Amino acid sequence: MKFLRLYKNSQIFKIALSVAIVIVVYIASMFYSQMKKLDSTVELIANSNETQIELEKLLSVISIYETNLRSYIITKEESYIEDRFLSRGKIEESIKKLKTLTAKTPARNKDIDRLKKIIDYRFKLFRQTLIIAKSKNSGAVHLNAKLLESSDATDMMKSFVTKIVFSESTKTKFQNDNHQFELRDSIITAFLLVILSLLILLLSFNKMNVDIDELRKANDKLKLLNESYNTAEKTAGFGHWMVNLETNVYSFSDNLFRLMGVEPNAFKPNIENSIKYIHPDDLDYVTKVHIDSLLNHQSTSMIFRFLTPNGDIKYIMGVGSFTKDGNGDLIKIGVNYDITNQYKKTLELEENNKELKYINTELEAFNNIVSHDLQEPLRKIQMFISRIEEKELDSLSEQGKEYFSKVRLTANRMQALLIDLVNYSRTIKGDKVFVKTDLNKIIDEILQDLSSNIEEKNAVIQIGELPTINAISFQIKQLFINLISNALKYSKEDVQPQISIATKKITEKDVLNNKTINKEDYYKIVITDNGIGFKQEYAEKIFLLFKRLETDPKYSGTGLGLAICNRIVDNHKGFIKAKGKTDVGSKFSIFFPKGDLL
Amino acid sequence: MITHQDSIHILIADDDEDDRAFFNEAINELKMNSKLTLFKDGKDLMEYLKLPNIKLPHILFLDLNMPFKNGFECLKEIRANNRYKDISIAIYSTSSSEKDIEDTFIEGANIYIKKPNDFTELKKIIKDVVNMNWQFHTSGLNIETFFFSV
Repeated sequence: MKFLRLYKNSQIFKIALSVAIVIVVYIASMFYSQMKKLDSTVELIANSNETQIELEKLLSVISIYETNLRSYIITKEESYIEDRFLSRGKIEESIKKLKTLTAKTPARNKDIDRLKKIIDYRFKLFRQTLIIAKSKNSGAVHLNAKLLESSDATDMMKSFVTKIVFSESTKTKFQNDNHQFELRDSIITAFLLVILSLLILLLSFNKMNVDIDELRKANDKLKLLNESYNTAEKTAGFGHWMVNLETNVYSFSDNLFRLMGVEPNAFKPNIENSIKYIHPDDLDYVTKVHIDSLLNHQSTSMIFRFLTPNGDIKYIMGVGSFTKDGNGDLIKIGVNYDITNQYKKTLELEENNKELKYINTELEAFNNIVSHDLQEPLRKIQMFISRIEEKELDSLSEQGKEYFSKVRLTANRMQALLIDLVNYSRTIKGDKVFVKTDLNKIIDEILQDLSSNIEEKNAVIQIGELPTINAISFQIKQLFINLISNALKYSKEDVQPQISIATKKITEKDVLNNKTINKEDYYKIVITDNGIGFKQEYAEKIFLLFKRLETDPKYSGTGLGLAICNRIVDNHKGFIKAKGKTDVGSKFSIFFPKGDLL
Repeated sequence: MITHQDSIHILIADDDEDDRAFFNEAINELKMNSKLTLFKDGKDLMEYLKLPNIKLPHILFLDLNMPFKNGFECLKEIRANNRYKDISIAIYSTSSSEKDIEDTFIEGANIYIKKPNDFTELKKIIKDVVNMNWQFHTSGLNIETFFFSV
């Protein structure tokens, strides 16, 4: 693995390659010098061989010459000595050749000079011998002495030549050995060179293959990435652009052109060409922000409009930031995002909001009408009713009295309804201020407010210790007023009403949406009574608007009381549950989140 | 300080004719030693109070929602003038909105009465208010006791 990684590292590969090349060059130069040396050795050997041959040739010519002279002396036949000048020429030629051959070795050259002197001396003896042999008056003694001297000279010459030849052949042998040795060396070097070159070639080829493969893969990946990016831009409706601050060259993405309402690369990307696609009203601002940012290198963010050639207006959110590219050049990259839809939706939303606010004001006005203007005439009706009851009731017939009491009941019911409507609308209104509210204090106030009612019913009310919670005070008061009023209202006629309000422990039985309620999170406040109760199957329905269970006229109700309670508890992020049993009583459990849940 | 030996001088300013009539009837039926003067709006009331030679009332029942000059404006004017410092002011209104209660409390009204829808109740209210120990009431006044309940 490690090797593979090293192999893939092109830096290391480059180093290895250059080292290999250095080695190859070194081996090649070694090979070259070896070849050169080999060449000179071969030359030396050839030279030496030729020298030897030439020397042998010289000796043989001298021998022939000697033989011919002897033959002449014995036979006195002139034809034996006819060619003597020719031989002399051959020898001159040989000497000349030897001189050239030994030109590089001064010692040998001197030897040749000496040989020449010996040969000259030998020829001098030849001439003297020939002269003695030709003269008729010279004695055999003289001739013999000369022949003897000649023979000595020939021997001396022969031994000199032999000595040179021997020395040459020794040299040749040594050179030959050297040659063999160098030849073997050169073969090894050449082999090494070939192997190494081959290896480098192979490695390079392989590496190249791997690199090309990787490059192709990377290229494919890049292509895919580019494609998906283009698709993403198209789908998401954004385009991007870049400007190199050093070269001032702009580039736009395909989709940026599309955002401007033209085909990709419809024009050369730059500020001048883009200007006509920016809404004229936004142009000054956009160019100023952009140019400023190019000077101070601060990120930009702005909303402007594109005006496409076919007249469409697109709302664009443009952000730009600065970064550095691979060359260290400062680049500004901008992303333009088509927010037309969002913008239109926001406008629509704002419009809706305005309408909603208007409706809200209307609703508030309506509330005022209900709470004041409608109650006012009703109150007067009730006043007149009480006046008639007090002063004029006796003058009415029994039927009239009954009708009149129904008028009073109906007026009272209408008043209750109006009050509840106002209370309900107050639970919907937005301005809710949560303050720390001591429930004990709230209950005290309520008991005072309801005291006449409680006295009238002769009810017993037990109050346990209650917590202090974060609450909308008037709503919480309304909540308990409604619950206690209900307990009083729906009491049994012949039984003393017993109402208890207390904090209770949360148990496993208390579930919300099938989940046990965490006792760390909620307070549980329970209000129980011994009234007429209700069927458990209605336990959830009773909290709905205008849902009344009792139709008996003696239990006057508006159908709003518990809906108000539900709403209030909901406003406090709590929940309320009812449990009832006909003729036994009802139990309302209210769960208030403890402080930090609000 | 109102004592029972004195004839109690009561003013009421209310634009509603019926309410004025009820009020008058109630006072009459209560048979108190009192003198009631009725005003149909705030303008009339203030013009009367500005007269130099009048005997200032002990108690003023003041409706809030009135034409020309509403009860709130009257309240401010009266409390701005030291001449009227001894007048007890009872706001007498259909509204029971917290804003009205708070605002009138701050501006110096002594008690806030929500108009009842029962004549007997009205009589009880008037009786209680007239017989109230104002000094005691005013010294311990807070926003809770300010709102009168029977």
